Amino acid sequence: MGGTMVLAWNGIGSSIDPAVDYDQNWTLLNMIYDGLVTWKKVGGSDGNTLVPDLAQQIPQATDGGKTYVFHLRPGIMYSDGTPVKASDFVRAIEREFTVPGPVGSFYQGIVGGDACAKTPKTCDLSKGIVADDSAGTVTFHLTAPDPDFLQKLALPFGYAVPSNTPDKEVGPSNPLPATGPYMIDHYTPNQEILLVRNPKFHEWSKDAQPQGYPDKIDIRLSLTSEAEVTMVEHGQADWMYDQPPSDRLNEIATQYTNQVHLNPVPQVYHMALNTRVAPFDNVKVRQAVNFATDRAAIIKAWGGPQVATPTCQILPPDFPGYVAYCPYTTNPGDGKWHGPDMAKAQQLIAQSGTKGQKVAVICTPDEASKAVCLYFVSLLKQLGYDSSIKVLSAAVEYPYVQDSSNKAQISFSYWYPDYPSGADWFDVVVGCNGFHPNSSASANLSEFCDPTIQKMTEKAIQTSVTDQAAANQMWSQVDKATTDQAPWVSLFLPKHIDFVSSRVGNYIFDPNVLVGGILIDQAWVK
Amino acid sequence: MSTVGGLEHPIDPLADAPPEGWVAGRSPWALAGHKLVRNRMAMAALAVFLGIVVVSFMGPFYADHVAHTDPFASQLTATTVINGKKVDVLQQGGGVLKLGETPIGPTWQRNYFLGADSQGRDVAARVLYGGRTSLTIGIGSAVICSLLAVIVGMVAGFYGGVTDSIISRGLDVVWAFPVYLLAISIATVLLTQGLTIGPFSISASSLWLPTLIIAVIYVPYVARPVRGAVLSVREKEFIEAAIAQGASNRRLIFNEILPNVITVLIVLLPLMIATTILTESALSYLSIGVQPPNASWGTIINDGQQLLYTRPWVAIAPGIMIVLTVLSLNVYGDGVRDALDPRAKLRVKD
Amino acid sequence: MLTFVIRRMIATVFVVFTITVLVFLIFFHTPGVDPARKLAGRNPSPETIKAIKHQYGLDRPLPVQYVILMKKLFISRDLTSYSNQGQKVVPEIVAATPVTLSLVLGAAVIWVVVSIIMGVAAAVLRGTIFDPMLMVLALIGISMPVFWLGEMANLITQDRYHDTFLFSWVPPLGYTPLTQDPVMWFKHLVIPWLVLSVLYIGLYARVLRADLLETENEDYVRTARAKGLSERRVLLRHTLRTSMISFVSLFGLDFGVLVGGGALLVEVVFGLPGVGLLTYQSLISLDLPVIMATVIYGAIFIVLANAVVDVGYAWLDPRVRPA
Repeated sequence: MGGTMVLAWNGIGSSIDPAVDYDQNWTLLNMIYDGLVTWKKVGGSDGNTLVPDLAQQIPQATDGGKTYVFHLRPGIMYSDGTPVKASDFVRAIEREFTVPGPVGSFYQGIVGGDACAKTPKTCDLSKGIVADDSAGTVTFHLTAPDPDFLQKLALPFGYAVPSNTPDKEVGPSNPLPATGPYMIDHYTPNQEILLVRNPKFHEWSKDAQPQGYPDKIDIRLSLTSEAEVTMVEHGQADWMYDQPPSDRLNEIATQYTNQVHLNPVPQVYHMALNTRVAPFDNVKVRQAVNFATDRAAIIKAWGGPQVATPTCQILPPDFPGYVAYCPYTTNPGDGKWHGPDMAKAQQLIAQSGTKGQKVAVICTPDEASKAVCLYFVSLLKQLGYDSSIKVLSAAVEYPYVQDSSNKAQISFSYWYPDYPSGADWFDVVVGCNGFHPNSSASANLSEFCDPTIQKMTEKAIQTSVTDQAAANQMWSQVDKATTDQAPWVSLFLPKHIDFVSSRVGNYIFDPNVLVGGILIDQAWVK
Repeated sequence: MSTVGGLEHPIDPLADAPPEGWVAGRSPWALAGHKLVRNRMAMAALAVFLGIVVVSFMGPFYADHVAHTDPFASQLTATTVINGKKVDVLQQGGGVLKLGETPIGPTWQRNYFLGADSQGRDVAARVLYGGRTSLTIGIGSAVICSLLAVIVGMVAGFYGGVTDSIISRGLDVVWAFPVYLLAISIATVLLTQGLTIGPFSISASSLWLPTLIIAVIYVPYVARPVRGAVLSVREKEFIEAAIAQGASNRRLIFNEILPNVITVLIVLLPLMIATTILTESALSYLSIGVQPPNASWGTIINDGQQLLYTRPWVAIAPGIMIVLTVLSLNVYGDGVRDALDPRAKLRVKD
Repeated sequence: MLTFVIRRMIATVFVVFTITVLVFLIFFHTPGVDPARKLAGRNPSPETIKAIKHQYGLDRPLPVQYVILMKKLFISRDLTSYSNQGQKVVPEIVAATPVTLSLVLGAAVIWVVVSIIMGVAAAVLRGTIFDPMLMVLALIGISMPVFWLGEMANLITQDRYHDTFLFSWVPPLGYTPLTQDPVMWFKHLVIPWLVLSVLYIGLYARVLRADLLETENEDYVRTARAKGLSERRVLLRHTLRTSMISFVSLFGLDFGVLVGGGALLVEVVFGLPGVGLLTYQSLISLDLPVIMATVIYGAIFIVLANAVVDVGYAWLDPRVRPA
């Protein structure tokens, strides 16, 4: 217990309003705020189990999966001394719609949610979320059963906020009062975020929100990842948020072996092939590129076989429904990738009759992305295409490749789930519901929409309301069928590298999306 | 904006004042040429510069016949032979963890003379190719800039009055913008979509894009002295006399004004190329100049930044080339100025 | 005199206005640039994007948007960044300014002192081997790309010789405010100061030397010499003083440019969170409000410096006062 933990981050500091921030500050927000439920704060795959947080227990859905009733733990206070009330959760979800930001398509299934999404000004969720402050109950009514509803509630968007919080994003100068073990002392964008202990906090559930070890957590912003490595080496910082740059990997691995931790994370790096633009509108071409891709070479560009594992399929390991599957390799059968099969690739390309067409490979300006794209430019040339590289600035690339009017052919991308559920993969990133023509909000970069597979997906979602095991089996069928249609060239599964200072003890890796790395407040500094 | 090399402090309030050295109308070119040739330092610098040009344009020959490599293809799995042993170009890290892939360092042999970059490509071959790109853009943009500036400066200087003040205010707009900010904001945008002007369309990865951007941002710096030169001629009595005698505008321009303007350009050109090469390298270093698959010295330094501590030669080599090129141009430019316009040395601000 | 000053002011406003309109138009003309998309998170629905566009007024005509943006920037001063809605732009720039000022002021001290020494030495030693040697040295300084020099300085001080007594004091890249720890502030900035000043030492030494040699031929200097004043006295009392007029005006302009964001490359290389780095980051992330604010800030500084120098000149020398 005690001491100040210093974290180094190259970010410039994102929003600290849980209704607005998406991903960037979740690592911090989950130490400061709480929702009704959360994922267990432990290491290993157990970290993806839901546990009650501000609620006393996780309720069973009633009314055919459309109603959830939560009972609040009594006696929990915000850091400013006001008690946490049932109506605070109505406010929190309403703010999802009224505060400009990543509005809750997550919560559109709540009664009244659709209307709120259309006209935020008149948002009224009083029918969808019924709060009884005196009894301490919160009741959610959904328009249809949603197997992922509890997972969605665990996201920071569902964190409790005082019921008088305005419909405006709260800025760095006036953060919301905390419920968790830490609160924001001050936040200077581009420079520093300082977390101190929340005096009103007491540990109500070790699984959901354990007491932290350090007294202060000092996050230094705007640092280069090079400087972060140096700071950790010299003990000036205890952990770096960012992945160490590739040219320092060898140095930290050989000189600071015991301070380096490697853990797989549920992400899949892939090339998205646009199934509606030539030549990748031809499934043979997509399969051919899959056969030809030397995933080992790409892993070299990423930092070597110790930091990434080859993959051919859509789902990542440790995911509900995952069964290893790799048809695009020499000696297929055991689900693993062994090597590229150029002969087969060339045969398929010849059959497709698309040789000589122009292909632009799109990527961002960072080193690894450029290296992967250049590899594909060379590979496509070898396969007979007139290929070129197109580098777009990081801010433009993602909206650009999503917008179908730009007719992006092939781009380097990755996906990770908001929560561990097949629906969050297949229905979004390679499913019909993820494709919105001529919009920059279209996560399905491949524009892939296969009616048969879509039916399978919908059936799996329905099944998971009642029978998770059966649903998982269906997800693995969906995975296989999609992989065979090759909307992606799945490349590799990365490992997360944590580089900590020599004084850090009790390193615990939590793979969950909220943390995605070391459990910061569960580590101590000597 | 004078933070960039050769064009020393073009923002000089006195720049509009007629430079007296240039008043003489037709310069005694032969005399100047003779003087330049006798300037040993300037000649040595010219030799160095031409040497760099020749070597750079030998890039393809070097890659094909000496190093036997394609410095623009992905070489992630390439191997090379050192001391009779076949080794990977990208080598897996050591120790227990075996993290990272490190490109081989300088072999000081025919292939991978300066080592490889993070994609396994031959750095020496890339530096030569990069030189070709940097020089092409540097010279190209300096020439285009001069042409634009001559048109703008001559129109402003010759017609005067409202035309002059409109043009001058326009130049002020560009001027007030720090060069890099202007270039960066234009480049960030154009790199996404390329540029289409009427029937002409330039793709985002074309070398024309950085060339044009750099040419445009430096127009004010050259247009001002050009305008000054025109004004200085115009105001001379003998021109007034010529007008009085009914000399046509065209004759005036070609016989009296143009020679003066050309003198200005000849003095400025080497210094401008030095400046444009530096600007190109800075833009490419910020990865908004030359786009892959092309490489320039600036982009190679940018690649080398990632490898700075493990394989410093990737960044050192192109930097040395830039310094040599720009230095030789600056020394030569000084020589040209001395030869054409001795007084200019005493008033360095051009 | 007064009309001259007023005319400069009007021109300044005109220039800044044109630049902001240009930046604004360039921004909205880029495909893929969609602030609403960015605000909407990872996987929004198209309706969400539409709602955000409406909430932010991004669906209104461009001139209206421009006016709103300018109003928020100058009048209500609550313009917020697109990347982080809670972050107001004006305080962000105010917070970055001391970093840039620290960098530029320190470098300016170095380059003024060193270039005066070099320029005077070269002029005094004219005819000896030292004059061309000093001038070649100055030229080398002018010929080095500042970002490369910075990288090389990092290579030496952060890595190759970091563990020797020479550079073991050099902290990792970054910045510590003067008010927080003056010693650390100094340590962080020494190397960036030197790197930034190299170019200007070269430029100023050359300019000063040339001016000195020119002024030496002026009548009043000859008179002073004829009166029997010592060479040194002539140099320091008369020649140097006259030459300093143009030296100071150059300094004013360069200082304005650098404080206005011209030190961008040095700030990027050394990770100094100043205005230049802020500008660079906002351009890379296409954060329009911050781009607009930094660009206006930069332009104002540069135009101001121009105006101050022009007015100063006009005051010193009535012949320059433009018609």
